[in-house]
Amino acid sequence: MVDPSAICWGPLLLIAVLFSILGILWAIAYPLLFLYGAVFSGRNLEKRMNNIVSRERASIEHFGKDPLSTLKGAQIVGGIHESGIVYSSVVYSPSHWQLLIAGINQLFGGSVSIIHRVIAVGRAEATQRLREQAQTAGWEDVLNVRIDTAEMTPSSVKKGPRAVEIFAYGTGVRYG
Amino acid sequence: MQHIRDGIMVVNTETIAGKVITQNLGVVGGSTVRAKHVGKDIGAFFKNIGGGELRAYTELLEESRSEAIARMVADASARGANAIVNVRFATSAVTSGAAELFAYGTAVLVE
Repeated sequence: MVDPSAICWGPLLLIAVLFSILGILWAIAYPLLFLYGAVFSGRNLEKRMNNIVSRERASIEHFGKDPLSTLKGAQIVGGIHESGIVYSSVVYSPSHWQLLIAGINQLFGGSVSIIHRVIAVGRAEATQRLREQAQTAGWEDVLNVRIDTAEMTPSSVKKGPRAVEIFAYGTGVRYG
Repeated sequence: MQHIRDGIMVVNTETIAGKVITQNLGVVGGSTVRAKHVGKDIGAFFKNIGGGELRAYTELLEESRSEAIARMVADASARGANAIVNVRFATSAVTSGAAELFAYGTAVLVE
């Protein structure tokens, strides 16, 4: 038998108090944030998309065309002066409200457009960041662009943020 | 030059335009597993309910990616290469909140 007075209760108590504070915070904040997501997530998505479109227009104006392409550079006749890698990424997540709607949609089958829109915005953001990276690095064109998607939380794990990481990379070139 | 690290050019095309590959030095790679501290995890968890970008994790992946690239470049320079071509990236989520990043490519000598 362990004598109860021999156990050091201080740190255990501290951990218990911290956990209960977190639990209370969670219980209060979750419904509020869920409601926030239900009311504003569609609007936020639209706002983000408009923002991306205007940034895209600005960078297309800077380059004179869309700099990104999946070509490998064989079509270039003039010759390339310099090249180097550019990459950008974004972690984007649907709100729990949207996940709930998607869950209901999945019962009926067909396209789950609410999630599709979230991923589309994330992908547009990643490619736009790639254009901006290319602009700050001073590249004139980006070749061999690839876009990768990875889950932040593996599907075998129940708890954890439900988010996707979208990663775009390519080779920036400067003609000369 | 930002894109030339330690004198090594890194591209994801199969050749470097304007240069000739003279020698193939094999596949080089670098990987890293990183995590954010628990405060950021909790913040991201709350942000996740409302949806949108999770900035803490975007940062996390950015950091780990540049670390993976740095390790790949160190591997290549140990082999005496001066360029890495056809670079690819792979991501895997081992547990939630930690990301394994792997960058790999072919180390070559170019002229």
